[in-house]
Amino acid sequence: MSSLPADYFAVFGISPSLALDLPELQRQFYVLSKQFHPDRFARASAAEQQYALDFTSLLNDAWRVLRDPQARGEYLLKSNGFEAGDSRSNPPPSELLEEVFELNMALEELRHGDGEARGAIASALERFLAMREALDADRDALFVRYDANREPETLRQLRALLNRRRYIENLVRDAQQALS
Amino acid sequence: MAYSNKVLDHYNHPRNVGSLDKSDEHVGTGMVGAPECGDVMKLQIKVNPETGIIDDAKFKTFGCGSAIASSSLATEWLKGKTVDEALAIKNTDIVNELALPPVKIHCSVLAEDAIKAAINDYKVKQGAEPLVQAH
Repeated sequence: MSSLPADYFAVFGISPSLALDLPELQRQFYVLSKQFHPDRFARASAAEQQYALDFTSLLNDAWRVLRDPQARGEYLLKSNGFEAGDSRSNPPPSELLEEVFELNMALEELRHGDGEARGAIASALERFLAMREALDADRDALFVRYDANREPETLRQLRALLNRRRYIENLVRDAQQALS
Repeated sequence: MAYSNKVLDHYNHPRNVGSLDKSDEHVGTGMVGAPECGDVMKLQIKVNPETGIIDDAKFKTFGCGSAIASSSLATEWLKGKTVDEALAIKNTDIVNELALPPVKIHCSVLAEDAIKAAINDYKVKQGAEPLVQAH
């Protein structure tokens, strides 16, 4: 019995990379899901049944992470020793925190304002969405660059970008909530 | 996940929300954040120049209930302490007081970092050497 793939990329038979062909990945996901569906192993040995179960579970995790560019980037950073979640060893830059803090303050003031604040929140949301869109374009460019050069410096830039995007994503969510 | 009563109390009735004059030489400001959850926390202390005791502490946190409760509790504890006593506050003290579950321990770490950052800012303003950071 072979052992399980070493990482999420290996589940799909690819080497760790960031600029993925999502439609192709999805196709592979369906193929593998079918191939390893536990129902197909009902008459197999106990070890094979267990493998099908473990593989399917790993496949689902891998698909969930790799389909999402943010999660995919964070996963690859982590497997390269960049602890995206460790804000202690690499605190976010203070300019970013100041900016996010100010944006949050403005949003909160608007939210507690009267009905006229709606327009202001809507335009703040427009701004956040534009920021997110710009970050997404930068992220995709970094993905391509990393796949080509495999340089730690590119990963450092990616980590900074993904951290920033998480904050912007929260602001988008908060603004949308305030408007709903 | 259920929040403890103490977390809920601080979340619903946060103490010391607000801000102090950042440019005041007796005020130290700490701004920290955790990108993984999108939290950003500002914590400020005002030190009495005569006594060296922290007279006032304020915070403003954008984040989850545990992050708000951790920083709210931190400001309560800071008031009346000397700067050195304040430095002794550990995130584990906050975890114990608020009964934070393991997945929320990082919120208490953030609060401890905010305290240290605020004290550091104050010390630098006073012309002292900056603290050696934990990171």
